[in-house]
Amino acid sequence: MTSINTQSEPVILEMRSITKEFPGVKALADVNLRVKAGEIHAICGENGAGKSTLMKVLSGVYPYGTYTGDVVYQSQVQQFKDIRASEHAGIVIIHQELALIPELSITENIFLGNEPVKRGVIDWAEARTRTRELLARVGLREDPDTPIKEIGVGKQQLVEIAKALNKSVKLLILDEPTAALNESDSQHLLDLILGLKGRGITSIIISHKLNEIEQIADSITIIRDGKSIETLDVKADGVDEDRIIKGMVGRTLESRFPHHEPKIGDVLFEVKNWTVGHPQVQDRLVCKGSSFFVRRGEIVGFAGLMGAGRTELARSVFGRSYGRYITGSIYKDGKELHLKNVKQAIDAGLGYVTEDRKSLGLNLLDDIKTTTVSAALNKISRHFVVDSNKEFTVAEQYRKSLRTKTPSVEEGVAKLSGGNQQKVVLAKWMFTDPDLLILDEPTRGIDVGAKYEIYGIIQQLANQGRGVIVISSELPELLGLSDRIYTIFEGAITGVLNKDEASQESLMKLMTSARKAAA
Amino acid sequence: MRMIGKAGKAAAIAAIAALALTACGRSETGTTGGGTAGGEAFPKDSSIGVALPQKTSENWVLAEKLFNDGLKEAGFKPDVQFANAGVSEQQNQISAMITKGAKVLIVGAIDGAQLGTQLKQAKDNGVTIIAYDRLLLNTNDVDYYVAYDNFKVGELQGKALLEGMQKKKPQGPYNIELFAGSPDDANAKVFFDGAMSVLKPKIDDGTLKVLSGQTSFEQAVTQAWKSENAQRRADTLLSGSYGSAALDGVLSPNDLLARAILTSVKAAGKPTPVITGQDSEVESVKSIMAGEQYSTINKDTRKLVEHAITMVKDIQAGKKPEINDDKSYNNKVKTVPAYLLEPVIVTKENVKTAYVDDPVLGPITK
Amino acid sequence: MNALKKLFGGNTRQFGMIFALVALIIFFQFATDGRTLTPGNVINLFNGNSYILILAIGMVLVIIAGHIDLSVGSVAAFVGVTVALAIRDWGIPWYAGILLGLGLGVLIGAWQGFWTAYVGIPAFIVTLAGMLLFRGFNQFVGKSNTIPVPGDFQYIGSGYLPEVGPNTGFNNLTLLLGLLGVAFVVFSELRARRTAKALGAEVPEAWVAVTKLVLICGAILYATYLFATGRPGTSFPIPGLILAVLVLVYGFISSKTVVGRHVYAVGGNRHAAELSGVQSKKVNFLVMMNMSVLAGLAGMIFVGRSTASGPFDGVGWELDAIAAVFIGGAAVTGGVGTVIGSIVGGLVMAVLNNGLQLLGVGADLTQIIKGLVLLIAVAFDVYNKSQGKRSIIGMLTQNFNRPSGGTPLQPDEVTSTKETIAREA
Repeated sequence: MTSINTQSEPVILEMRSITKEFPGVKALADVNLRVKAGEIHAICGENGAGKSTLMKVLSGVYPYGTYTGDVVYQSQVQQFKDIRASEHAGIVIIHQELALIPELSITENIFLGNEPVKRGVIDWAEARTRTRELLARVGLREDPDTPIKEIGVGKQQLVEIAKALNKSVKLLILDEPTAALNESDSQHLLDLILGLKGRGITSIIISHKLNEIEQIADSITIIRDGKSIETLDVKADGVDEDRIIKGMVGRTLESRFPHHEPKIGDVLFEVKNWTVGHPQVQDRLVCKGSSFFVRRGEIVGFAGLMGAGRTELARSVFGRSYGRYITGSIYKDGKELHLKNVKQAIDAGLGYVTEDRKSLGLNLLDDIKTTTVSAALNKISRHFVVDSNKEFTVAEQYRKSLRTKTPSVEEGVAKLSGGNQQKVVLAKWMFTDPDLLILDEPTRGIDVGAKYEIYGIIQQLANQGRGVIVISSELPELLGLSDRIYTIFEGAITGVLNKDEASQESLMKLMTSARKAAA
Repeated sequence: MRMIGKAGKAAAIAAIAALALTACGRSETGTTGGGTAGGEAFPKDSSIGVALPQKTSENWVLAEKLFNDGLKEAGFKPDVQFANAGVSEQQNQISAMITKGAKVLIVGAIDGAQLGTQLKQAKDNGVTIIAYDRLLLNTNDVDYYVAYDNFKVGELQGKALLEGMQKKKPQGPYNIELFAGSPDDANAKVFFDGAMSVLKPKIDDGTLKVLSGQTSFEQAVTQAWKSENAQRRADTLLSGSYGSAALDGVLSPNDLLARAILTSVKAAGKPTPVITGQDSEVESVKSIMAGEQYSTINKDTRKLVEHAITMVKDIQAGKKPEINDDKSYNNKVKTVPAYLLEPVIVTKENVKTAYVDDPVLGPITK
Repeated sequence: MNALKKLFGGNTRQFGMIFALVALIIFFQFATDGRTLTPGNVINLFNGNSYILILAIGMVLVIIAGHIDLSVGSVAAFVGVTVALAIRDWGIPWYAGILLGLGLGVLIGAWQGFWTAYVGIPAFIVTLAGMLLFRGFNQFVGKSNTIPVPGDFQYIGSGYLPEVGPNTGFNNLTLLLGLLGVAFVVFSELRARRTAKALGAEVPEAWVAVTKLVLICGAILYATYLFATGRPGTSFPIPGLILAVLVLVYGFISSKTVVGRHVYAVGGNRHAAELSGVQSKKVNFLVMMNMSVLAGLAGMIFVGRSTASGPFDGVGWELDAIAAVFIGGAAVTGGVGTVIGSIVGGLVMAVLNNGLQLLGVGADLTQIIKGLVLLIAVAFDVYNKSQGKRSIIGMLTQNFNRPSGGTPLQPDEVTSTKETIAREA
């Protein structure tokens, strides 16, 4: 609304009237961005709005000449021809998918392509010393020789930032930095960004997590459909989440969850004393004697920190597709099930939507219709021959009922946005007609509008008398959606709360309870 | 996307597009056939197909040049091809030569028993077939065979080996090892048998000793005539049986293998044995002059090619080509009329005179 | 151009390969003074390459599933020599020989499938071992000799459809086959139109369908004419017939059956496939086993054609088959490829080989040219993908579009741009 009023403050970056066209599509149209030196500037927008394109223009991925408009950085019009050029100027971008090499050590990663050389030989002692300094600056206590694959995603993110500091970064761009992190790692990262700000490093942060943006950003630029809509000053304008959403979707969402009247029936599915060992490490348990149940028409939430064993529990129940089975029994409608593989689980009426859509959930080479029927091919085939007419009809049905945005069901799934991909995955499992559907992080990486639709689908499934399990790291999501919430800590179920007695605080307490008990 | 139907149709459409464009250029062929072998004349500028095996030795490369030059000079259209990729490529090449209308095929087979189908195809198209250097086996469809007398080659090698060892050490017993050529080359066995006709009696009476005990053809073979295979086997034999014993002589079927075996002997630190060879390769002739390799065989490729071309000329003129052996070469289906050339053994003693006429070896041996 | 696109079903990539094949045929037809498209030469082309094309069918499935098989040449040689020996020494009839060969292929395939699928050793290693193993077996069993096979066994490698019925001046069976092919194409096109209408999907205009049918049927009939009017005693070759049946069967399996879907799914994303209930180990086992069975068949056909089995049969075949598959558009990373594409890829190599031989180009130069063609074909594909375009045809057609005025951009390019943006956001 009100644009930046303090013109006197020094501006580190100004992007003026940036327009970037791809054949047939205008990805960015006349976008303006003004970042003051030393601030944390958030860019918000739905998937496909053009945020990443804008950052690629800035960092030289799209070289000078392929766009129109000016990039003014430190009072000079820049003509970056590649990433090296922008890095040289002190602009470092950290992508959502980390660019670290798992087999190499922290030191080797930080100095990759930038090795300190003494008399033609890499000076590893020097590199290690400098790594130690850098790690201290980002608050990471790890041996510089530790291979990257041995540290968690949260720490890897810190290594990326250390790498950026090593390149004497002035403007740090973070693309969805906390998407893969749990709450405490996220918090640590946000604190670090604030710390960097204290040392005069300017940050641009792209995130879907509006609460985080609200917490750390000084200004917010909202982009919608390739256009810059507005720039908000967080303090001066009194910005909150609803205000940002309004800017992003162009209207106010009255509620972030569709209204839902649960119709809860008998116990549908029950798991007793479920214990599972780690697939590789002997003696390590990922599920410890967990018991839980789901009733017909009920949406059951599973809350737990990353690595608490939520996914492991779900996948081991789903046809033992993870870990070594040790003890436990599964009942459906009172009868015990013996599921030894995924096929049996599907046949028994179970469905599982994976947490990691791209690497576990989808074959990105497939088209929409092939994906839709892929878990229930027997329903559209006779004598093992697939009926391609039925396939088309089925896919078309789901496209309409889930309102998947695509020109045709013959389109490749790789071309869809995250939200539409998730709809296709949901269609795939809905077509198997499951009695119990387990959804692991169903809205990760999906923008606000699509989230709302997916919540609606989940509620609809419950209304049909199915049981639904939702696993999520976002507590507000669980609170808004679930009828009952189990909490998991270190592989064990630590509590269960009904919708009316659950709050972020009470859940958090249970999610970390054992830790407190131990301490 | 994976619809075979659509793509198949597309393929067919594309094909017809090509055909429509080219149909006018298509010449009517096919039902003519029939020229009988060895008798009828054909136009003097006809195509003559020459199918040679892999380009593995100097002699084959020389033969290519000689065939090209000689056939051109005689007015024919030469079509000379090497089959480096093996039997299947040679099969396709012969088919292509027939398509191109070759009247005579000169075939230096990679494997003489694996060309039956193509030779039948050639015969059905009225082509005369000459087996060059290697006999074509298991087929009725071969008219002539032109080669050096390979049994004789073996005999000469055997004799040279004995003679060489006697010169070094008048009295036996002598320790020798035997190497043969590739089992898929019909000549390899003939060489070996020829040599054994001389050596076997001496092995039986104890004059010659094969310490490894490997005296059968199957044990002595060298796959694909490859030097690395011979060298590997020589390494094994030397370390296995000649730790203390001396190795006096080696029967090697050709120069390439002889040099490989010598390399192995040197690596083992043994004195140079008497070793035979064949083909008169430049390196081996030099080696003979240096006193390392004992002998080679001069099978002048020029003479062999010359005679093959003479045969083609005779066939073209409607004459029956000259042969000098109509009994010895049975290919398991028929006895093939053959013209055999006499090989000459070359040792250090006659090396200067043997290659006087040779444009490459002549200057070296002067 | 949109019309052309409709004609070819919109699959520009496959169209590119077919286009290249046609261009090659036309080029050689002129360069060889019309000797390329003669009955004799077309028959040679099929006879001399059928075994490689059969291998390519199995290989494309292996590659789609994300593996590779280096042992096919050795397996072919081992099966070939075993069958030749069994027929010669045990006196079994030819059909028993073929059954023995296929059975041996099953056993070998089970061996390789076991190590690949159930023990989890990469197929590259398993089949590299197999390459040595079965080459050794071949030479051990055959004692490195050439072993002839009798005339009736030679039929599968060098036979032709027999002459039956009245003398029409054509080979009657070939003629019949051609007419059946035409009938099949017309019937399936009509049926496809009917179901498309019923489903409410887009139905191409009638003239498109008619042109398409005329072109396809014309092509089939011309091929039939070539095969039916060859030298007396020749007609449609038996290896060609075996190949045609296999192409139909495997094309159907790969695109229309549950098993086929599973092969693509495992190759595209094994984890996702497993979590959708696909038993990936079974799929991998089947794919590897199938390859060895087809290798055995190819080996027997080659022995039939060569009239004998030899110690160096099948050397280098794996590379020819793999090249055909990649020229035909398969991806090294798996999940992508088609049976028909691989056949077209194999034919490109075959026509190139044949044409160069007809021109009298030496074997060394031929190898150089083939190597370059493989590299360029795949490089072109990779380049186009990185540019967000689908194929050369897309670029050619842009210029077609402009003068005819106002036609908007190709759907391909629009979507690929969307894809780029989707990836960025």
